[in-house]
Amino acid sequence: MSHTSLALLSLVITLMGYYGAKRLYSRLGYWWAAPILLAPLLIIAAVLLLDIPLPSYFEYTHFLVLLLGPATIAFALPIYRERALIRRYPITLTLGVMAGLLLGLVSSWGLVKLFALPPEIGHSVLVRSVSTPFAMEATTAFGGVPELTAMVVLMTGVVGMLLCGPLFRFGRVRSSLARGVALGASAHGAGAAKAREYGEEEAVVASLTMIFTGIAMVLGAPVFALFLV
Amino acid sequence: MTLSEGKVRLKSGAKRASLTLLQAAAICLLAWLAHGLVLYFALPVPGGVVGLGVLLALLSLKWVPEKALQAGAAWLLGDLLLFFIPPVISVIQYEAMIEQYGARMLGFLVAGSVTVLLGTAWVVDKAFKFERGLHLARAGGRL
Repeated sequence: MSHTSLALLSLVITLMGYYGAKRLYSRLGYWWAAPILLAPLLIIAAVLLLDIPLPSYFEYTHFLVLLLGPATIAFALPIYRERALIRRYPITLTLGVMAGLLLGLVSSWGLVKLFALPPEIGHSVLVRSVSTPFAMEATTAFGGVPELTAMVVLMTGVVGMLLCGPLFRFGRVRSSLARGVALGASAHGAGAAKAREYGEEEAVVASLTMIFTGIAMVLGAPVFALFLV
Repeated sequence: MTLSEGKVRLKSGAKRASLTLLQAAAICLLAWLAHGLVLYFALPVPGGVVGLGVLLALLSLKWVPEKALQAGAAWLLGDLLLFFIPPVISVIQYEAMIEQYGARMLGFLVAGSVTVLLGTAWVVDKAFKFERGLHLARAGGRL
């Protein structure tokens, strides 16, 4: 097949894999069918099976990545909509965001040393806890590789989603604010989706925390990089 | 469903889709302008965050009604995962690296997630009790 037809096929595979997984999940609801897990697996399998070269894969799909910028801006709407909650709990939310951001950064930094991960991976995983559009923006400040960052951010979401239930039981975390902030700070979008299973307040708090930790990470990255890289 | 009912549904679906697309395009335009602004003034803040701040200000000043961008924003945020699938797919070029360090990375991710989930929840629990106390004291003072 020619480069152009492979490129078109890649776009079709990507859209079908993503929207197909999304539909399947809304019908079945099994955790393994969550689009964050199933969609990349399906698409990677198709790309490998069809032996599509990466330049062909990127030809048209890179336009999708450009939408991460506008998505960052779109976060203004949920912030505006939840301004009442922000005004009610400014101290709790601020401390939660700061704790989540610093714990994410410092634990990543320490664990990279502990697990003896090479610098290429080590620099890419520092932003793992924040939402992708922010992570992709911030990772360059730490010398990270955007592709590795995207993968680690995705896996962090999956791990957080799977671990939060038993951890909250073990740690006796019962308040909606604590659950929401913890999920938003540790597992970003996947955490916010999971938080919806606990309740509406958890979901709102998780989304807000995710957005604020993302912004704080992007703004602080050049400074954090001085200490951690 | 009768044929005319089907037509109506199709029409309203198309209308909603074009509205969503138009609103998303408006947000893209804002992203492009914000990016230009950052380049022109050599700002140390990325375009996305500048755009977010600008849009938040426009909403707060009621210059832009929430409804005017809601559908577009909901699509951009609801399908966020789709937009970063291409970089995730390109990790296949790091296959050897992932084979070598995959298990360690998984250990890293689990340990990191446990730390952030429990640590943040603990801090928020303490902060929440303190802030709720403040609210109660304020309410009590008014009585």
